[in-house]
Amino acid sequence: MIRYLRLYLHFLRFSFSRAFEFRLDFYFRILMDCVYYSVHLAFFAIIFARAGVVGGWTLDQTYIFVCGFLVADAIHMTIFANNLWMLPVFINRGDLDYYLLRPVSSLFFVSVRDFAANSFVNLVIAAGLVAWAIARYPEPLGAVRIAIFAGFILLGAFLTYLSRMLFVIPVFWIHSSRGLEDLYYTIDNLAERPHQIFPRWIRWAILTALPLAFVSSVPSHVLFEGLTIERLAHATAVTLGLFAFVVFAWRRGLSAYSSASS
Amino acid sequence: MSPRLFLHVFTIQSRKLMSYRADFWVSSVFAFLTELAIMYFLWRAIFAESGMDRIGGFSFEALILYYVAAILLGKLIRGNDRDVTVSTDIYEGSLTRYLLYPSSYFKFKYAEHVGTMIPSAIQLVIFGVLYLSLSGAPADVHVTPATVGMTVISVAVSNLLHFALLYPIQLVAFWADNVWSLNVMFRFACMMLGGLLLPLSMFPEWARPVLNVLPFRYLFDVPAMTLLGRHSVAEWMTGVAASLLWIAALGIATRLIWNRGTKSYTGVGI
Repeated sequence: MIRYLRLYLHFLRFSFSRAFEFRLDFYFRILMDCVYYSVHLAFFAIIFARAGVVGGWTLDQTYIFVCGFLVADAIHMTIFANNLWMLPVFINRGDLDYYLLRPVSSLFFVSVRDFAANSFVNLVIAAGLVAWAIARYPEPLGAVRIAIFAGFILLGAFLTYLSRMLFVIPVFWIHSSRGLEDLYYTIDNLAERPHQIFPRWIRWAILTALPLAFVSSVPSHVLFEGLTIERLAHATAVTLGLFAFVVFAWRRGLSAYSSASS
Repeated sequence: MSPRLFLHVFTIQSRKLMSYRADFWVSSVFAFLTELAIMYFLWRAIFAESGMDRIGGFSFEALILYYVAAILLGKLIRGNDRDVTVSTDIYEGSLTRYLLYPSSYFKFKYAEHVGTMIPSAIQLVIFGVLYLSLSGAPADVHVTPATVGMTVISVAVSNLLHFALLYPIQLVAFWADNVWSLNVMFRFACMMLGGLLLPLSMFPEWARPVLNVLPFRYLFDVPAMTLLGRHSVAEWMTGVAASLLWIAALGIATRLIWNRGTKSYTGVGI
């Protein structure tokens, strides 16, 4: 474990020094995410100017949901996203060899090697937004509930990573990543809306097989309604099940990988 | 650039995209259905909870048809913006070979961009006809041969306007190492201010004058509203004229950026 932590600290150092080599891109990316955050907040602000409730939630509750999503997204972008964008290229070019030869878990190495320093700045901004949304909430939410909400948002970011991996790993067999990428980024939009607006079969799908409701919708429910044993058991089962499946699929993928000719 | 060469580049690009058929069908069918389903269920909840018949001048059925039109026309207007490789050409130094061609680089890239419209045109016809034949047009929507004709012209102009907006952003690559984030930022702005996420009639009154002076509304909102018969001929003509003015202004700006950029271009690449 200590070895992994030390390795990760090295990744952080390399990533920050690389980010500052491309300063203009560094600032562009921060600006890009700020535009992304503005679009999300404006979308619901405009809707709430015309309707009082969406999916049973008020504007204050929806702001917490949206900002929670932005934090989970920023965590994913900071820790995992850059790595997963490049993974199909590594698989197809045979560059994965470099990762397989290291004396650490290849899944860990390919998933977290590139830490996005610019997205880290955005993570701070997104955290500020969620703090603002919680502060403007008209009723007291309590420190414990807020801490549980924060824990669930972290879990949401991890589940985003696992869900994304489900759409990257098939590249080992089908080689083209474009259709899968488009498909993921379309389905991923389900996480941007409260899950209670969807019919039962979509809700079931995003609460189990592809748990996008856990990115921010379920954490917001936990914040407003409290944590129950059923919800905790559900979240644990979904996370462990999906993690086990991703590890299994990764191993199967590696056995199909044939280096440069893959 | 001769029309023959334009057609040749256009054909190669559309063939290239259509060659990945599984990708094409996966992304087109699922992307369209998912995008539409999200909007459908969101607005269904809003209409049900608010108890209103009309929001922002739309009945629920008309609003869903607006999204069908905006999503499908939007694909046609944007083409495949990820395939606009101007910044990559500059960054990798492959622009050099284009500079040696006896043809305008802008026109060459635009021909490629138009080529990416073919898959979207197929999707528009299939899904548009399917949706209308299954659900029918709501009472407050009037799709006629005249609105279809006006929309075709709007789409052609809006496609050029979209490219004219995207092109100078890509040219920033003459000075910056990576303009991917600028492209994404542009995409977000287009979606929000162009009417892909919400019809512009939903925006508050104070925002309308701002939206009216920006070019984004001509990208998706104007063509979709024209198709649904919600714009008069005069409004449509004003929209087309304004788009052409924007294209001309952007053309001048692009020329200036190109002239300065090519002076600093070394052709070395990464």
